[in-house]
Amino acid sequence: MRPVTMAPMRPVDVAAREEAQPELGEAVFEIQGLTASYGANVAIRDVGLEIYRNVITAVIGPSGCGKSTFIRCLNRMNDEVAGFRHEGRILYHGIDLYGDGVDPVEVRRRIGMVFQKPNPFPKTIYDNVAWAPRVLGLKKELDERVEKALHGAALWDEVKDRLKRSALSLSGGQQQRLCIARAIAIEPEVLLLDEPASALDPIATSSIEELMQELKRDYTLVIVTHNMQQAARVADRTAFFSLEVDDGGRAGVLVEYDETPKIFTAPSDKRTEDYVTGRFG
Amino acid sequence: MRTTFQTELDQLEAALQEEGSLVLRTLRGAMNALRRRDLELTDEVIAFDDDIDRLYLQIEEGIPSLLARQTPVATDLRLVLAILHINLHLERMADYCVTIAKLTKLVADVEPDPTLLQTLEEMGDRAEEMIRVALDSFANRDLAAAESLVDLDELIDRSNRRFVERVVEIVAEPGMREWVLRMVLVSRTIERIGDHAVDVGEQVAYLLTAEFREFTDASHPEHRA
Repeated sequence: MRPVTMAPMRPVDVAAREEAQPELGEAVFEIQGLTASYGANVAIRDVGLEIYRNVITAVIGPSGCGKSTFIRCLNRMNDEVAGFRHEGRILYHGIDLYGDGVDPVEVRRRIGMVFQKPNPFPKTIYDNVAWAPRVLGLKKELDERVEKALHGAALWDEVKDRLKRSALSLSGGQQQRLCIARAIAIEPEVLLLDEPASALDPIATSSIEELMQELKRDYTLVIVTHNMQQAARVADRTAFFSLEVDDGGRAGVLVEYDETPKIFTAPSDKRTEDYVTGRFG
Repeated sequence: MRTTFQTELDQLEAALQEEGSLVLRTLRGAMNALRRRDLELTDEVIAFDDDIDRLYLQIEEGIPSLLARQTPVATDLRLVLAILHINLHLERMADYCVTIAKLTKLVADVEPDPTLLQTLEEMGDRAEEMIRVALDSFANRDLAAAESLVDLDELIDRSNRRFVERVVEIVAEPGMREWVLRMVLVSRTIERIGDHAVDVGEQVAYLLTAEFREFTDASHPEHRA
């Protein structure tokens, strides 16, 4: 359990209240001038922002604005994509993720990912969760590790009596929580969620959203969602990406990044306003 | 573009402006009835409140439905919230007009004091102007006009103070006592209508700036926000 630091008490200053911003913790990621391309196509251009610890950060924006490209850069998931190139830096606790000598496998161990469609292995529930720890040689007390991960993903009570049954026997929502359990079984620091609920029904969606609130106590979460209301419900901070068209072609740019309530009540940029109010395009 | 949503928002705003114009009519009616001691008109003002309440309810019921179905955000959200509050302020103003009409009925057989009556008429004119400015500032999204309501309100407050000074002079006159007491309430009621107009202006400022602030602070009147 991480110690909680309390801000010192001070008298309420009514005049200063509107200036006060919630305190942000340590920056886990510092993204500086990130441009990512696939061949000749620039997917995102010159993106700069910081992602903070134990905070849920949502990335929203229209189709094709590069939001998935952006979070896939955060754990080098784009490395294997043909023609992928990037400029700029992604610092993870001050270390350049794409720097020399950085092992992408180690990056993905610390920065886990959950995808849009639940993709459990066609194995037992237990083996799905135990797979990554086994691969990484974390075989000691494996049962405890699996149980802890399933608890963490709020799935334990539903599956504890059928751990040896196929993961494919679970419902879609349960499968997605199993994928979250699989991701947290190796105790990463960051969880990247790429549209984690878009294939789920509303009840399964709300259980994933509730789970995210639990998870942020121990993890830093970044979620890509096309569902603006989902971003408004779950995220502490929201980044709005948009597609900019100029002579050089089309590319995703970061338009605005702020506290979620600010983005949804009084955004600073007209493009954000137009997108969140549905007047886009 | 969310056409259906925009149409619903426009309809709500139009209903609010219609409600505002009915409030202007009922205030004019209440003040005319007071001046002329016109009992027929007082009854009309009282009955007219039902029409205003109908519009009030229509807006009041439209908003939860819009919020639930369309989940407005950003400017749209602020607009819906401003409509919700302004609706309440307008309905309250209309209730105050009913109060003026009822007080008028109670003392219709007394010859009014001309000085006091003139002050009340002035106050009524100013309240009417304030409602008009408030509604126009909303329709035109005009922050400066919304903020000017504070100055207009100061004029009503000044008339109200002058009214009280005159009341102190004549309250001892037998035969005038009940009329004067009723008219103190009328004066106070018009003054409150002005306050609600200022509150409407505050909602306009919220819509335009995304910051809610009270134009004047009742406990620190010397400090304007």
